[in-house]
Amino acid sequence: MSCLSISEVRKSFGGLHAVDGVSFDVDYGELIGLIGPNGSGKTTLLNILSGHQPPDSGQVLLDGRPIHRLKPEQIAQAGLLRMFQLTRVFRRMSAFDNLLTAGRALGLDHAEAIARARQLIEELTLTRVRDLDAGQLSGGQQKLLEFGCCFMRPPKIALLDEPFAAVHPTMKETLAGFIRKHHAEGQTFLIVSHDMPVIVELCPRTVCMNAGSVIADELTRAVLNDPVVIEAYLGGEVAA
Amino acid sequence: MKTDRNAVEFRLSLALLALVALIPAAVSNPYWLGVIIVSMYFALLAAGWNLLAGYTGQFSMAPACFAMIGAYASGLLSYHWNVSPWIGLPAAIIVSAAIGMVLGRIVMRLRGPYLALTTLSFAEIMRLVIGNSYSFTRGDLGLNVPGLFDSRLVYYYVFVGVLVAVQTGLFLLLRTKAGLYLRAIRDDEIAAASRGVDVVFWKTAAFTMSTAMSGLAGALYGGFSQLVSPELGLIAQTGLVICMVVIGGIGSLIGPLLGAFLVYASSEALREVGGVQLIVFSFLVIVFARFYREGLWGLAKRAFMRKPA
Repeated sequence: MSCLSISEVRKSFGGLHAVDGVSFDVDYGELIGLIGPNGSGKTTLLNILSGHQPPDSGQVLLDGRPIHRLKPEQIAQAGLLRMFQLTRVFRRMSAFDNLLTAGRALGLDHAEAIARARQLIEELTLTRVRDLDAGQLSGGQQKLLEFGCCFMRPPKIALLDEPFAAVHPTMKETLAGFIRKHHAEGQTFLIVSHDMPVIVELCPRTVCMNAGSVIADELTRAVLNDPVVIEAYLGGEVAA
Repeated sequence: MKTDRNAVEFRLSLALLALVALIPAAVSNPYWLGVIIVSMYFALLAAGWNLLAGYTGQFSMAPACFAMIGAYASGLLSYHWNVSPWIGLPAAIIVSAAIGMVLGRIVMRLRGPYLALTTLSFAEIMRLVIGNSYSFTRGDLGLNVPGLFDSRLVYYYVFVGVLVAVQTGLFLLLRTKAGLYLRAIRDDEIAAASRGVDVVFWKTAAFTMSTAMSGLAGALYGGFSQLVSPELGLIAQTGLVICMVVIGGIGSLIGPLLGAFLVYASSEALREVGGVQLIVFSFLVIVFARFYREGLWGLAKRAFMRKPA
């Protein structure tokens, strides 16, 4: 049984087939990259997986249990946590309270949530800003905070939508280090990113989407050398 | 570590209520005691609306309507079935909360202007239904209802006591996980749901608590004035509540109290000048919404923080 199983998922907006029969599985402990040009359907697929948009058809299984008709909070409680492309934090709450909220909503008791929030604040180098309102944090710090919220209770799978976009290199390394460490401990990740060097470094396997469909799903090096991917992703120019 | 903002606001609101409790020692004029009692009625409505708008980000246009529902629930029980107002009071809370919960389940899936418009429509429908059901409610003539107490001074301290209880309840609520969830929903509903918060449930819970507080305020006010009429639910009354919260400081424990006392007392002071009160308060709301979003409480905090140690 896979951690996440996506079968024949479709979603259309009017005549636009944003996600058109996507199927792939994510095994426990895998770290998968999801790439594709803008408008290829990656974020729509993530919205379906996290319950923010219902699929027109197809099914999504988390840990063998169907989740494609559940509400976002039920999916989060089932263990699929998601980070957004445009950072979403609770701007008028302190960084610490942001983490506490996620911890309590995911079922930790007060003492557990405080202990875990303290640990994550330190691990994500947010100690100096823990009591500031999240809206006062830099863009990179907000990304780290949102990332931390996904890990208040270690998820079955974490979906990260462009986690490295517009992040300072130091923070990028903090984030990448966190992902590497937790992946080594068996955490499952699905990472959407346009940052190819990071995808190459972190993800052994990559899925590439174009025009709503999966056009490649294999080892990352093989995907990046696939002529179909190069054509779709780089507009036909073959990488050196 | 940063000082707990809610704890500071809670202590200051208790201090403010302690000052209010001392006023009868210096002021015995029944008219001004009545003005402060009505201010406290509005403070209850403002605190309830602030729980919804200030802490949960949901802009209902029905706080005065639910005060009217509470007042009529208690008044009709007494008028038709001779039920004691002491039973009418909890009945008012239950009826307002129950109607609030049903309406909440419907409107809490709406956002922004749609939520405001739906609650505004509901408030007007309720007011017109009550105003036109002459055989049951006596329509615009209003209902004469028995008082809860004989003395104005007792009403005064009952209102002070209820406000202390409500502020304490709100303070304790905000310290629990419910307080975290409500503020998270205010800041970003999508993010809250993505982190496991049941957004519709908690928005409905906040709506129900807010309407219960309005119902309690309405029933107490009905007992005090001994007359319940559809005018309690006028949209202008809701406007006054919103002015109080925005001017006092939305999203704080003390702001609605400050706003209610200042706005209502000023309203009475301006009464002799003519019907200019709402013009003045509406203008102040524009100024505060444009320049000082945190209201008078925010201004006071800024002034305090600038002060050299």
